[in-house]
Amino acid sequence: MNAVPRRIRRVLAGISLPVYLLLYAPLSVIAIFSFAPSLGHPGPNLAAYGMLLNDPEVLAALRRSLTLAIGSAVLGTMLGTLMGFGLSRFRPAKGGGFWVGTLPSLIIYLPIIMPSLVFGISELIFFNFVHEYTGLLSAGLLTMGIAHVTFQAPYVALVVYARLAGLDPNLFEASQDLYANAVKSFVFLTIPVVRPALIGGFLLAITLSIDDFTISFFTAGPGSVTLPIYIYSAIARKGSSPEINALGSLMIATVIGVALLYYFVTRHRERSTRIPAVA
Amino acid sequence: MMPGAVMMPAGPEKVTAARGAISLSHITRIFAGSIPAVDHIDLEIQAGEFFTLLGPSGCGKTTLLRMIAGFETPDEGRIVISGREMQDVPAHQRAVNTVFQSYALFPHLNVEQNIGFGLRMRGVRKPERKKRVDAMMELLQIGPFAARNAGQLSGGQRQRVALARALVNEPEVVLLDEPLSALDAKLRAELQIELLRMQKRLGMTFIFVTHDQHEALVMSDRIGVMSNGRLQQVGPVLDVYEKPRNVFVAEFLGLSNIWAIEPLGGGMAAAPIGVLKIAAVIGVARMAMIRPEKIWIYNDTHAPQGRENVFPGTVREAIYMGASTQYRIELGGGGFILALDTNNQAAERSWRPGEAVAVELKPENIMLVEA
Amino acid sequence: MGTAAQGEARSRAWRLWITSGPGLFWIVLFLLIPSGVMLGIAFFTNSDFGSPVLPLSLDSFSQVAGYGILGWSGANFTVLLRSLLQAGVATSVTILLAYPLVFFIVTRPASLRPVLLLFAIVPSWTNQVVRTYAWMELLNPFAPVSHVAQVLGIIPPHLGLMPGNFAVLVGLSYNYLPYMVVPLYAAAEKLDWTLVEAGRDLYASGARLFFNTVFPQTLPGLLSGIILVGIPAFGDYVVPQLLGGDKAMMLGSLIADQFTFSPDWPYGAALTLIMLVFTCIGLIVFRRLTQRLGGGEGAML
Repeated sequence: MNAVPRRIRRVLAGISLPVYLLLYAPLSVIAIFSFAPSLGHPGPNLAAYGMLLNDPEVLAALRRSLTLAIGSAVLGTMLGTLMGFGLSRFRPAKGGGFWVGTLPSLIIYLPIIMPSLVFGISELIFFNFVHEYTGLLSAGLLTMGIAHVTFQAPYVALVVYARLAGLDPNLFEASQDLYANAVKSFVFLTIPVVRPALIGGFLLAITLSIDDFTISFFTAGPGSVTLPIYIYSAIARKGSSPEINALGSLMIATVIGVALLYYFVTRHRERSTRIPAVA
Repeated sequence: MMPGAVMMPAGPEKVTAARGAISLSHITRIFAGSIPAVDHIDLEIQAGEFFTLLGPSGCGKTTLLRMIAGFETPDEGRIVISGREMQDVPAHQRAVNTVFQSYALFPHLNVEQNIGFGLRMRGVRKPERKKRVDAMMELLQIGPFAARNAGQLSGGQRQRVALARALVNEPEVVLLDEPLSALDAKLRAELQIELLRMQKRLGMTFIFVTHDQHEALVMSDRIGVMSNGRLQQVGPVLDVYEKPRNVFVAEFLGLSNIWAIEPLGGGMAAAPIGVLKIAAVIGVARMAMIRPEKIWIYNDTHAPQGRENVFPGTVREAIYMGASTQYRIELGGGGFILALDTNNQAAERSWRPGEAVAVELKPENIMLVEA
Repeated sequence: MGTAAQGEARSRAWRLWITSGPGLFWIVLFLLIPSGVMLGIAFFTNSDFGSPVLPLSLDSFSQVAGYGILGWSGANFTVLLRSLLQAGVATSVTILLAYPLVFFIVTRPASLRPVLLLFAIVPSWTNQVVRTYAWMELLNPFAPVSHVAQVLGIIPPHLGLMPGNFAVLVGLSYNYLPYMVVPLYAAAEKLDWTLVEAGRDLYASGARLFFNTVFPQTLPGLLSGIILVGIPAFGDYVVPQLLGGDKAMMLGSLIADQFTFSPDWPYGAALTLIMLVFTCIGLIVFRRLTQRLGGGEGAML
């Protein structure tokens, strides 16, 4: 790194530090505003947080968000792990033709590259049709969950695939050679070696679910208002309020807390510099 | 057959074959559409033998090994291990263990757990398992790093662990796929000796794959030289080296001088360097070969008189290699010859480029080989 | 009966479908087919309730082109151009911010780098609505930032920095900056600095040194970043909806309106088709560029 002269490193730092500030400024503003004086509460106060914790609508939305995030992440992680495992282990090393070689990748990348809006509206129309003709899948947490699994599974698959692709392929043969049949090999080799990716993938899936608004918005029903949808409609209805600021602050704090916790817990296990995923 | 059960003793149907003996007949393996990677291999390996498959990369030796291990299925032919037909026996039920070129140590397990993996999969109980793993670790001097992870080991340590992991299961056959190729020369030499000692001590059949002829010569009871999916020659090390069957074997194993010859009758043949007297019956042979160390070099003034196959020449190149010196000599009649002279006290002297010499090729040292 | 190798390939393919099949089937059923249905709807006629009915027609596309009951209007073209422009400018802003940031991180000691990268990414893990809402709080007419802008005469008094195109640009750049940082970082971390050392004698100025030695090595990362930022920014819905106004409308809002406030599904589907066409063009162009540059995709499928 000595290739970069000290002068240039100063310039880089001079640009980067304000960028870091800029990244956190809006989030801090919300946190500060959440303590702002309001009617009947002069001076900095926690009134907004009190209101929040006593608001049944907010609590119900929180419950739905958690149910949705955890439920979809469990299924998304299962499907994604199997996809990542299968594609890394059983796809021919090169080629494999369109059906085995190319098509699975195209399908996996589809949810990742498709703009959320197109994703959400497609699901809206599809669930509408299915409901109209079969009476199944009325818009609600279930349809939201299906949509969430659809975008979680590919990300989990990529994480698991990356982990397995970095392993010596002889490991699997070594386990067979050492008397493990397919099931034992999966249980005693594959699961343990992908465990970090599995945990990472699961947390990523939860983060993706909590982060999403657009797709949730178009697949939600009247009875399935989750936190992001609640905030969105509250903003649309009455603009900003200390309560929304408080809710936003809590959400930000939770995500940052969980992210840091996961990072520092796993950091000691994996020495190599990992590049965290963007959600 | 119970799932997971391993045929340790030979099946009751064949008591004749010794435990660890391997018989391959007509083994052929074809990769999609191309020429066979392994082409009709017939091979008998005795129980307790150290057998080496030697050949350049891509000659099919690793594929053959993988078929014995059960990772790949032959298109044709039979593999019989300890008298038992292996056709329908999957890799995890074969009493065969492999030491991989990459070692393939499990990254999520420590050294001790790595070694005990096979016993654990076979359902050996913990106290028994520990006893056997400990014994093996002591044998290979692994004890001090038993609790370490695979990632924290040096190359030589990994190699030992991989070997221990195979040996602890007391397999009938141990397969070694270039296990020393990633190590530096000194460590390699040490481990060659250790591997050999271990094999003699445990009496298991070892099949060792390498492209390194020196390694093959040092370690093996017998070697099989492979090229283009075929076994070119199988035999004891000495035989294969001294009496190579064809040009490929002669050139792959050690240095050699090879000439096309034209029989003249009476044990004489015309070669590019001149007329040669050959002790062996020439018959239909059209190629002759002599190892460089079998060539005598004399000062031109001391050249033996009245003997066959003595040619005058000039040293063009002398490469000092410690124990010996390798000479490239231009012969009077045209053409070059490679000769090797040991640098011991018995050696008459050493020669420098430009010096006039004479070389003698004793008729009994000239071998006839196939093209 | 083929060779054993073919048999093994078959059994691998079978295992591939057993393991990957359920996930792939899920995506096909719940995304590929639905998006196909939606695109199909573009060719139907609109009913009075906004749902598609027969006969098949191209009416929705003439609507997209701007023809309506009131004659031709250029409004849709304006929206499309604005979306492309906003996405392009936002992408450029993220590039300009990400390069110094990434090189600031890679020139720090190795132990610090992951933490510094993490701090650049963490904000992206919060909900998009919350993130965007934060900018509403920061840029609204009563916020200090707007006040400063008013005093400096950048904007007229009593108006805020939002709603408007500027706020949308800020929101998009903020939202997608990490998507540029991550691929660029991945490229910069693997940078071969010996090339920079070698080039030091060859190139007179720092800028030429950068563009001849560093820049080509980060190009694959940059191209991935452009795809990761440009495409979602172009189709974004939340940011223009919250930070823009009628005058800052982007394609996303226009499409969403056809499915919510004033239903007209065929028209909305036709607009979506346009969005997808531009998305695909962008994707193909940049993938081609990446391939031509031999960009390593790392552990990608």
